[in-house]
Order: sequence, then C-alpha cells, then structure tokens
Amino acid sequence: MDIFANLAHGFAVALTPINLLMCLIGALVGTLVGVLPGIGTIATVAMLLPITFGLPPVGALIMLAGIYYGAQYGGSTTSILVNIPGEATSVVTAIDGHQMAKQGRAGPALAIAAIGSFFAGCVATVLIALLGAPLTKLALAFGPAEYFSLMVLGLIFAVVLAKGSVLKAIAMIVFGLLLSMVGSDIETGASRMAFNIPELADGLGFATVAMGVFGFAEIIRNLDHGAEMNRDLVQQKITGLMPTKKDLLDSTPPILRGTVLGSILGILPGGGAVIASFAAYTLEKKLAKNPSRFGRGAIEGVAAPESANNAAAQTSFIPLLTLGIPPNAVMALMVGAMTIHGIVPGPQVMQKQPDLVWGMIASMWIGNLMLIIINLPLVGIWVRLLRVPYRLMFPSIVIFCAIGIYSVNNAPVDVILAGVFGLVGYWLIKHDFEPAPLLLGMVLGPLMEENLRRALLISRGDWSVFLTRPLSAVLLAIAASLLLLTVLPVLRSKRDQVFTESEN
Amino acid sequence: MTFIRALTSACAAALASLCAFVAPAEAQTYPTRSITMIVPFAAGGPTDVVARIVTGHMAQTLGQSIIIENVVGAGGTTATTRAARAANDGYALITGHMGTHAASVPLYPKLAYHPEKDFEPIALLAGTPILILARKDFPPKDLKEFVAYVKANAEKVNAAHAGVGSVSHVSCELLHSILDIKPVGVPFNGTGPAMNALVAGQVDYMCDQIVNAVPQINAGTIKAYAIATPERNPSLPNVPTTAEAGLPKFQAQAWNAMFAPKGTSPAILASLNAAASKALDDETVKKRLLELGSVIPGPAERTPEALATLVKNEIAKWTPVLKPAT
Amino acid sequence: MADTMGHTATATRNTQVALGFCLLAIAPQIFEFIWSIGTIFGWGAGRGPATVVISHATALLAGAPSTLMGAATGDTKKASSEVLLALIYSYPIFVVAIVTLFMTIRSAQDYVGGVILMALALFALWASSDLQGMRGFSFGAGTAPRMFGGLLVALSAGIALTGLLTDGPTMAHYSWRGPLFVMAAILFFALAIRPLGLVVTAFASFMIAATGSHETRWLEAAIVGACLTIGCAILFPYVLGLPMPMYPRFMIQ
Repeated sequence: MDIFANLAHGFAVALTPINLLMCLIGALVGTLVGVLPGIGTIATVAMLLPITFGLPPVGALIMLAGIYYGAQYGGSTTSILVNIPGEATSVVTAIDGHQMAKQGRAGPALAIAAIGSFFAGCVATVLIALLGAPLTKLALAFGPAEYFSLMVLGLIFAVVLAKGSVLKAIAMIVFGLLLSMVGSDIETGASRMAFNIPELADGLGFATVAMGVFGFAEIIRNLDHGAEMNRDLVQQKITGLMPTKKDLLDSTPPILRGTVLGSILGILPGGGAVIASFAAYTLEKKLAKNPSRFGRGAIEGVAAPESANNAAAQTSFIPLLTLGIPPNAVMALMVGAMTIHGIVPGPQVMQKQPDLVWGMIASMWIGNLMLIIINLPLVGIWVRLLRVPYRLMFPSIVIFCAIGIYSVNNAPVDVILAGVFGLVGYWLIKHDFEPAPLLLGMVLGPLMEENLRRALLISRGDWSVFLTRPLSAVLLAIAASLLLLTVLPVLRSKRDQVFTESEN
Repeated sequence: MTFIRALTSACAAALASLCAFVAPAEAQTYPTRSITMIVPFAAGGPTDVVARIVTGHMAQTLGQSIIIENVVGAGGTTATTRAARAANDGYALITGHMGTHAASVPLYPKLAYHPEKDFEPIALLAGTPILILARKDFPPKDLKEFVAYVKANAEKVNAAHAGVGSVSHVSCELLHSILDIKPVGVPFNGTGPAMNALVAGQVDYMCDQIVNAVPQINAGTIKAYAIATPERNPSLPNVPTTAEAGLPKFQAQAWNAMFAPKGTSPAILASLNAAASKALDDETVKKRLLELGSVIPGPAERTPEALATLVKNEIAKWTPVLKPAT
Repeated sequence: MADTMGHTATATRNTQVALGFCLLAIAPQIFEFIWSIGTIFGWGAGRGPATVVISHATALLAGAPSTLMGAATGDTKKASSEVLLALIYSYPIFVVAIVTLFMTIRSAQDYVGGVILMALALFALWASSDLQGMRGFSFGAGTAPRMFGGLLVALSAGIALTGLLTDGPTMAHYSWRGPLFVMAAILFFALAIRPLGLVVTAFASFMIAATGSHETRWLEAAIVGACLTIGCAILFPYVLGLPMPMYPRFMIQ
C-alpha cells in the first residue's frame, strides 16, 4: 500500500499551484515545439535550462518533462497536416495520417492521435508508479547483443511498413543505413564520408534529412503542374472534425496494443522508444484483415503508433527515475537540470528525493490531461489551417523548416543539406521509392552498427553471441519469421504474375 | 508569475535590441552587449554545468548576460574550431576542457586549431577528479589487486569509454599506458550508456569523472578503486587516492577553463579573468561546484599565465599517450 | 511496321538515357570542377580548375587503365583518390550506360531509379575506400560502410533488372520551376541568415519561394510574408529563446 501513499504524496506535490503552472507551461511549450517543424525537444530543453536555475527543482523538472511528452503530442500534428515528421517517432504517423488529411479527414486523425496519446500516457504513468523498480531489470538485461537484434527487428518493421515493392523498401533501408554512416566512427574516431566538411563530422542530423525528404520534397512535388487540382479537392473534402463512432471502435484495439508495445519498448534506454511506433504500426498491419488499406489513410495506422510513442515517452523515464541513468539526450539534459540544483540522480533517487520522483510521476498524469484538453479544441484550428491557399502555405512552410533546421545547430550548412535532401526526396517520389524506410534505416543504422561492434568486441569476435543469448535469439527469431511472412506473399504473387503473363 | 517575468524580460530584451538597432553602440566600456559562451558539449554535461554555474555569477559582475551556446560534435572540436575563428572582440568565449584544449592535439591529426596558438587563456575554472570504477562483481578488491588482475587478464577484460576523445577514453588510455597493456576498449555514446553498461555488468571497468559516479558508488551498484588526485575528495571520503592505493603515477583531472580567441585585447581578458576569479570566490558558486565533486583552483592557479602553462603541460602529457592509439 | 516504329522510339530513348548515365558517371568530377572555379575568386579552399581537370582526365584516361593492368599483373601500387574514383565509380556506370544501349527498357521508372541509386552506392564505396577495414575481430571504420555500400549496389542492380524484365511506369515528369525557386529560397536563407539576420532573410526567402508557384499573387504574398516575418521574429528568439541574429550585421555595428 506504499504505492498509494507515494502517489498521494506525489499528487500533493504536483497539485500545488506553482507546479501546476509549470506543468501547463511545459505542456504548452512542448506542443508548440512539437508543431514547429525542425525545432527539436533537445534544443528547446537546452535553451530553457538556464531558466530552471531560478526555479525549485521539482517545478523545473515537471516543466522539462512536460516539454518532452508534450512534443510527442504536437509532433503528430505537423506529420498529419503537412507530412513533416519532426522526430523519428512521428515518421510512421505521417504515412497514414497525411493520407487521411488528403482525404479530408485531418480532424479525426488529429483527434484520434490525441486520444490515443492520452490513453497511453495514463496507462504508462500508472505502470511507472506500480512497476518502475522491477521493470528496471529489463533495461539492464539488454546488452549490446540484445540491442543489435532489436535493431534488426526494427529494420524488418521498416520493410513491413512499406506499401510498394519490398525490394525497393529494402534498398531504401540500406540507403538510410549508408547515410547514417556519415560522420565520425564511434570506435576509432575516424571521419567517414564527411569530405572534410566540419558540419558533417558528427553525421547527418535526423531533422535535416527528414525535413528534406518529407517536407521540402512534398512542397516541390505539390508545385508540379497538375498538382493544384488535387490540393483544391482536399480543401473541399474536409468533413467532420471529430472521429465517428466507427473510427473510435476501429481505433480502440490498436490503441490498447500500441500502449502495451510502447510501454515495454520505452523502458529500453538504447533506442527502444524510437522503434516503438514502428513496431506498433507493423503489428497493426499484420493483424489487419485488409493490410492494403495501410498507407492509404487507415485510422489504425495513426492510433497505434501515436499511442505507442507516447507510452514509450513516459516509460523511458523509468531508467532515469530508478537507476539515475539518462536513457536519451533529453533526459541527459534533465539530469543536467538536477545537477545544477545539486541533486545528482542515482539508484537511490526514489528514496532520497520522494518529492521529486513521485511529484514528477503524478505531474505526468496531470500533464497528459492538460494536453488532451489543449489539443482537442486545437484540432478545429489546425484543420482550418488547411484551408489557407497553398500559394501562401508553402513559402511559410519553407521558412519555418529553414529556421527550424538552422536552430538545431546554428549551422547554415544544415539548411543547405536539407535542401539537397529535398531534391533527393523529389527524385525518390518520381521513382516511387518510399522515404519512411530510408528514415528508419538512418535512425537505426548507428544504433545497429554500434551495438554490433560492441557485442563483437565483448565476445572477441564470436558471432554466436547473438544466438546463445536467449533474449537476442528470441528477437532474431521474431525478425526472421516476420521477414518470411512479408516476403513469401510477394514471391508467391510474383510467381502468379509470371504464370499469368506466360499464359497470355 | 514566472511566465509573466519571462514575458516582461522578453519585452525588455526586445526593447533593448531595438535600441541597439536604432542607436548604434557608442563608445562604452566592455561589455556593452551580451556575451556568447560556447560550450563544446551537450547541455547538462559536466563541462556545461561548470560553465553555467560560473558564468551565472560572472554575468552579475560584468553587468551583461552571458548566453551559453552548446555546440556538440567531434569530441568538442567542432565548437572549439568555431570559437577559434570567432571575432576576437570578447563577445565570443569558450569553456574548453582537457579534451578540447590538450588531448585533441595528438588525437585529431587534422585539427583545425591549436590550443596554444589560437586562443588566449582566461582562467582555470574547475578540476573534476577521475575515478577508476568497476562493475560491482569484478573480482579485484582494491587497486593493487586490480592492477595485477588487469595485467594478468589483459586479453579478457573490457574497458568501457564514452567515445573517442572523451575524458573517460583519454584517461583510461593514460592508465593503460602506465600499466603497459592494451585491453579491448568498448565505445559507448556518452557517459550515460557507458555507466548503464557498467551497472548492468556488461563491461568490466572504466575511468570516469566523479560527477556521474558518486550516487552509483554510494548505492553499491558499482565500485571505485581509487581517485586520481593528490587528495581524497570530500564527496567520497572512503575512496583512496591513487598514491595511497599504490599507483602514484596515475594522476588525471578533467579540468575546465575559459578561453578567448587569439588577439582579444588584454583589457578585456583582464576583466574577464577578474570576473571569473570573483565567481570562484563566491560562496554559492563554491558550494555548487563542491557538490559536483569539483576541485576549485586556488588564486595562483587562476591566472591566465598559469592556464597557459597548464595547457602546455597537458599537451606534453597526453601526446605520448594518445599518439600511437590513432 | 508498328513494331519497327516502336523499336526506333525506344532506340532514341535509350541513347538519351545512356548519354545521361555517361554524364552521371563523371558527375562528381564535374561537381569538383564547378566547385574549383570558386577558388579563382578566392572562395573556399581547394585545387584550381586547371589542376582538377588535368588530374581527373589523366586518372580517367590513363591512371585507371594502368592500375587495372597493374592489378592484373599482380602489381599492387597504391592508387590515388582520382584513380580510385574512376575505377570504383565512373567505370561501372560507363559500363551500365553502354549496356543500356542494347536493352529494351520496360519500366524506365525502375531502371533509371535503380541505376541512379547504384551510382550513389558506388560513390559511397569510393568515399569509404580510404577507411580502415577489419582488424582481427574488431570492425574497422570502413567495414560497415563498405558492407552496406556493396549491399546497396546489389539491391539497386536488382531494381534496375526489374525495370528490364517487368512492365511498369515510364519516367515521371520532372518540373523545374518549383524545385529551382524553393532551392533558391533555401540557399539564400542559409547564406544570409548569419550576415543579414532573421528579419531580412525570412522575408526575402519567403518571396523567393513564392516565385516557385505560378498561382502567387504578389501583394498578397508580400503582406503574408511580412506578417510571417514579424511572427517568426517574436516566436523563435523570444518565446523559444533560440539564439539567432535578428538584423543585418552592418546595421548593428
């Protein structure tokens, strides 16, 4: 019954006016940051860090946490409306969400994303409170070998989420992997494919490539002759703002499944949260009676990944709260905020700082509530934005993207690179290559290579570790069967095609 | 409340910048506008925290805000290159550390700057002791046993580090060169993941800065063999120094210091040095830095001359250790 | 009759495609040449145009063949980066271009897409050719890039092959106006943000981008652009606290 006492204590801390205000500011800033293309959570939290100097530590962390999960809500908005994923986790949402928007169903897509996120956030918060400490073991059970196998599984997800040719999807993943190799090598520090450009020394930024192949490429494509017709159609087609009963019924199971998947994957500090949304999407596509709807505006394709990424955003706090080890860059900043206040988080942070830990957990629930209250009414405004004539919309998007990319590193070269990737994206569209697998390859590439090399260094070059470690073996088995499931029907249909052709 | 304050300050800033726009700066004494402090690492890291604590106080002394700009990349050398090329008017400074202003010289053969030739030293800010850490079930019980064990099993042990050029990498290379062994170094992407692997027992040992390690050591999730400073640290009174534990040659500190681009006027350097020194004498600053496990330099160590000597000595110290590694 | 007409049509198409591939085969060399022109005016560092032309031409025409011969006779001399570029990147693409002449392309979309992707993969192979490979059990810096580069060459060859074997869509139409002006706007933004500041840059880039659409109405665009600029000037530096220059540098000093 400790839990209830702890939670009650947490709510007592979180419900003080100042902390409520901090939570609200965090949620608002987070939404804003999520909506603006290119502006990342890392940059914003870094910028706001000095402000937290003057705040009490609990309030400061509640605000920073609010920005972190608030950005997950906001990120889906830009993905759905203008097909620009601001973070790796919203790439999947863009696939079906933007298709829904094109069919005039931006309202339901946005609303279901908010509802799914809210539900997932609530469940994940309870999970942190109840099982945070025991779940920590999972984070520690994942060594380099396990992460490598998880990443392999993640890449298979990318194949599954492609709607066209499997061969092209795999080629795109490998292209993404190659792009991710640019920059300095983790083990030797050698500069790889960077052509002595200092801005490339640390590799291509995710935002740079995503803005290019999604954002700029989409704009250029929309400016093509003959594209005006389609755009006008979209504006006429806008129907209801809120999801229908059928939408809600269709989305309930995906939201539940997405929440479970996201909660589990979010605990893994080395990139688990990134693949949560991909995993959820893949699961839905595999379970669906008619998988061909995916990629063409299926509401499940929005509900599941959005729930998964928000659940993962919450449970990724577990390693921080129980071990004191930040699992990602944003959390590292929060640790920075704590150290500035003289609290260095460690395994005993729960016992030593109950105010902080339980206050933060309680505030996450409150924050999620605030976010859904903020986001549902905003749906109307966002949808109205789609009625702005495209001739005014596209230069604005260009400017917002350019400022966003520039602000990540204050580097003009990044903006030029995003432009180059815009042309690459335009070329991809013209040849029917899909950008989503490319981005996934790019995100997972470094994680996969690093963990592979770590695992091999530790095992002294013995490749069998991936199969002798049970967790890793299970993950690889899942990956192999998933690949078979995806490739077999394609082969069969190819064969049928050959047969029918020869008959003619 | 705070939001309103933020809003008013924003308006004030807007007004101020508008004024600056309308009436070009008149001849005033330095500084007349806000100063940018480049920190070559991510916000929240040890260097960043030190820089923020010290500049927070310096801004009061100088009467202008100091904006921290975190520029990450290539072990801090991206940011340091940028700082070296910045205008030498005193409005762009850098908080460097042992990696960017010493170890980088042998580590990066194509380094676009030289710590001695392209920078004016301002002041040493803090030293962060380095510890020898190991997973909690690593067999050796103390440093002597550790040395014997690692030497005997150099083929088997794994040393974790937070990436090439990081403090943990560079300092473990020093340890290895003293012990004359070459164990496998397992690279991680930052101290967080490396510490995670150490806590989980996936790697055997690492050398790391005191900041991240103290809570883990106190909780018993990892163990510390020794601290590589001449004196014990108040936040870890039970951890012996390397000299006490039998490895006096291993001395390493991750120091943080403030630099300006070459050619900055001596008057500006002097006022910055005075402000930094004043900050280090401030009780709150002192307390915060000590909480981090930092060692605050004495008045004699804070002078620009002392920093210049330190940089010179550190480059000389790291070059033989790191040269063969790359 | 109809058959021969169809044949001549594909033949001209194929010659064009093959010529395009030849151009693609020396694209990096051309790019370095264009880049090197800048050095005459003192922009950027690098070799002068004359050196670039001579070194690449000798590499393409003499250096690479002699290295090939050398490799055949077992003479392993270290090749220069230009020779490697010719060997790893240009020659294979030339071969593809020649092969193209004798092929019936059934899906230009897949075939051309596959070949360009192959060019990118070959270029990556060249770019990572100077990196260290495996050292015992430990991966070197170059192992993974070369592995994935090779894989991508194989995959893109597969895609190109699909374009030869199965029927599919032809080349899609590329337009020039949108890409040109959107790129110009991005380029202008990147070059101007530091010296000219956010206000001037954002507005000018907005107008340049707006030129990319023939639907643009100028007055309307100017008004919206001005409003957007003011909005950005408040939003980014103040509300989000992102440090960026606001006004042209010369006006501040």
